[in-house]
Amino acid sequence: MPYQLENRPPDLRESMYFPEIIRGIGTITKHFLKNLFFSRDANPDILARKRGGFGHSDNVTLQYPEERAPYAPAYRGLHRLVPREDGKPRCVACYMCATICPAQCIYIEAAEYPDDPVEKYPAKFVIDELRCIVCGFCVEACPKDAIRMDSGEHTPPSYERSAQIWDEKRLLRGPPVSYQYDPWLRRGSPSIPPDKLEEMRARAKPFPTVATDEASQTPGFSVRALAAEAKDRAQAARK
Amino acid sequence: MAEEKKPDAAPPKPPGPPAPPPPKNPGFVTAIVDGKEVVVKPGTTVIEAAKAVGIDIPYYCYHKRLSIAANCRMCLVEMSNAPGGKLMPACQMPVAEGVTVKTDTPRVKDQQRATLEFLLLNHPVDCSICDQAGECKLQDYYMAYDRQPSRLDVPKVMKGKRVELGPTVTLDQERCILCTRCVRFMREVAENPQLGVAQRGNESFITTFPGQPLDDKYAGNVVDICPVGALTSTDFRFRGRVWFMSSARSVCTGCARGCNTFLDYLNDVTYRYRPRENDAVNEEWMCDDGRTSYKYLNAGRVLVAREGRGANAQPLPRKVAPRRAAEVLLPHVAAGSLAVLLSPVASLEDLLVACKVAKEGLKVGEVYAGGRADGWQDDFLKRADENPNRKGLELAAAAYGLAVRPFADLVAAAGAGKVKGLWAVGTEVPDAKAAEKLGALEIVAQSYGDAALAQHAAVLLPASPHSEMDGTFVNFEGRAQRFEMAYFPKGESRPHWALAAELGAALGLPLAFASGREVFAALGPQLGSALGDFAWDSLPSTGSRLGIVPLAAGTVDGRLPGNRDRVPSETTEDYRRAMSRTS
Ligand code: SF4
Ligand code: SF4
Ligand code: SF4
Ligand code: SF4
Ligand code: FES
Repeated sequence: MPYQLENRPPDLRESMYFPEIIRGIGTITKHFLKNLFFSRDANPDILARKRGGFGHSDNVTLQYPEERAPYAPAYRGLHRLVPREDGKPRCVACYMCATICPAQCIYIEAAEYPDDPVEKYPAKFVIDELRCIVCGFCVEACPKDAIRMDSGEHTPPSYERSAQIWDEKRLLRGPPVSYQYDPWLRRGSPSIPPDKLEEMRARAKPFPTVATDEASQTPGFSVRALAAEAKDRAQAARK
Repeated sequence: MAEEKKPDAAPPKPPGPPAPPPPKNPGFVTAIVDGKEVVVKPGTTVIEAAKAVGIDIPYYCYHKRLSIAANCRMCLVEMSNAPGGKLMPACQMPVAEGVTVKTDTPRVKDQQRATLEFLLLNHPVDCSICDQAGECKLQDYYMAYDRQPSRLDVPKVMKGKRVELGPTVTLDQERCILCTRCVRFMREVAENPQLGVAQRGNESFITTFPGQPLDDKYAGNVVDICPVGALTSTDFRFRGRVWFMSSARSVCTGCARGCNTFLDYLNDVTYRYRPRENDAVNEEWMCDDGRTSYKYLNAGRVLVAREGRGANAQPLPRKVAPRRAAEVLLPHVAAGSLAVLLSPVASLEDLLVACKVAKEGLKVGEVYAGGRADGWQDDFLKRADENPNRKGLELAAAAYGLAVRPFADLVAAAGAGKVKGLWAVGTEVPDAKAAEKLGALEIVAQSYGDAALAQHAAVLLPASPHSEMDGTFVNFEGRAQRFEMAYFPKGESRPHWALAAELGAALGLPLAFASGREVFAALGPQLGSALGDFAWDSLPSTGSRLGIVPLAAGTVDGRLPGNRDRVPSETTEDYRRAMSRTS
């Protein structure tokens, strides 16, 4: 709360200095003692933390890296290439993401599956995360829901530029996703056993109309859930 | 029972259709298309008549060089003389005198939407996988005329996804809309009916006859005329997206016909040739051998000058290479044991400068013609002579009074010991075995690649092929055809004319050119009237396409190049500017 300074001449007590100095020292000492000897609320949802009042310190800083603030829902996080259920990328190397990317940081080379009903896949799929401006256009442009920014993770820091160039092996991770019109579901794929295929067909979702549909979010991913997880971790650590 | 009354007189004839109006423009047919008056020759189809006044009628099966099938129904329009007011196929109906054609009424639009919905019913909408994306009429017309979501709620019909029709063409039967253009092309243009439609209704598909692959030499053209992505080129399949690529107006170097082509390139790599329309040369077709003849532009190139051969080879700095070449040649000039080998694969500009240097710098009286060995020939396009510029070589040599002798004479002269040094402008030779015999000579070679004669060169100068320069080829009929530079010379390679001019300068000739245009302006008049009314700047301006413009910034800090980046080339900025089309 901002400290209000009224524009008035000092009264008698203030013009005597010493009582005010002692009062100021008293205020500082009070806060010092409270922050030093009373507990700090460790609720990872920092906006909900209690501060001040009896039994709580005024201090709301995070003890990074033990405590981490969850990112806001608007934060999408690092790219990932969405896998099919058999571990291959959903991506068909259509270059839509590379075409729209304003930072021109996506590099793709297409190749052909010898046997799969989807003929094309990215033999090379590279994103230069240093150049990426995290606009999410690639996610919007993808006609196959094959690239997402739903990991909620920050790009890990590194000492070399080359470590920030993510290739398909690093990008391909996270839970797989199926849609009813996936060609490998419709036509079958030599790399998916028939019973697994039946199961996938039963589970497949209708195709979302916009890329940011709830249906196209990674199942189980939410900021609240992440916060709750962190809270549990913190409590377990305290016990 | 009343007896049927016989009419005692024949009833008056019902009024027949009104007599056709007298022609407004005698000898021509005058009609109204969308309120615009069109005057065309009798027999012109509505589609062409509408095109003449700038009205586009969508079509799939119609192709102006093929017979009319009128089976796609995309081009239906309203015509005032249609029986019962039916919609008529504009591709098939000739315009008649006084007809009113309407192409934008609600009925026509509704029909176009319905046709598109029908065509897309079983189309797999593979656009993200399909190689034709960006060049597909289904995509274009869907955006222009349809824009409706699919109402299909039963599974689509599934057909062969990857049928290898032959060595050059792969078919996706699901994507085919059965316009039969490919079938008609094979029957009428290639005159080798290898394709047909099998089955009925929505089960029908395009196929070859059992056990007979689509191996015609002109089969590649069906990929170009297929309006959708059903027929794809096995060579180009999945190698790049067409919207990234730029096209330069070029000429095929596969044979002496010199088919007009588009050279599609990206990041200094040539990806494919497509035929460019020229009624006088190749209409709009090209042969499969020509289509794949681009490969030497990309692979196996020499990019730095070099001295010595085999294990002793070492790179030569660009500045000293012409001087070293001159030092190798000069003793042979003095001894009269020098021969000049010119390749008919080089352009007219290259050969003009080379002939000038040969005549005035090296003081020879005759040149030998190298070039690729003869191949197959037919009565359509392909010529046996697989060199694009033999006529140009003869013209350039004649302009400088040099006699042209065949390659065999050079081998004989070298065998007899009369020739000890050789300057080869282009190292293509018709006979690889004979080239081995020339290995004993002291050779200065200008070469695109590092094969055959180039391996025996004492001094090898890297040359740029036609994708990297502006120039002219003269085809076997004597028709001079310009081609345009697609990208800057790779590495330290330079066009033959630049290398020859540098060599000439090292020999003391006052030669310096900044562009192919300058070469032609300076030396072209030597040719006299041999090229007819050819004008160097007359390359038709339509048709070249600039792809997505690459980022100006390179990837200098070691990052991987994005696929639109132009990695900075070694050529200096000054030289690049001098070589560029604009300055
Ligand atoms: S988020 Fe934006 S800048 Fe980053 S890769 Fe995607 S499109 Fe390119
Ligand atoms: S847009 Fe999607 S399917 Fe296309 S290349 Fe990018 S990630 Fe792959
Ligand atoms: S393959 Fe192409 S050209 Fe041939 S009928 Fe089908 S759509 Fe037409
Ligand atoms: S006919 Fe000759 S010039 Fe034409 S495409 Fe074939 S090889 Fe090239
Ligand atoms: S173009 Fe007229 S029916 Fe196909």
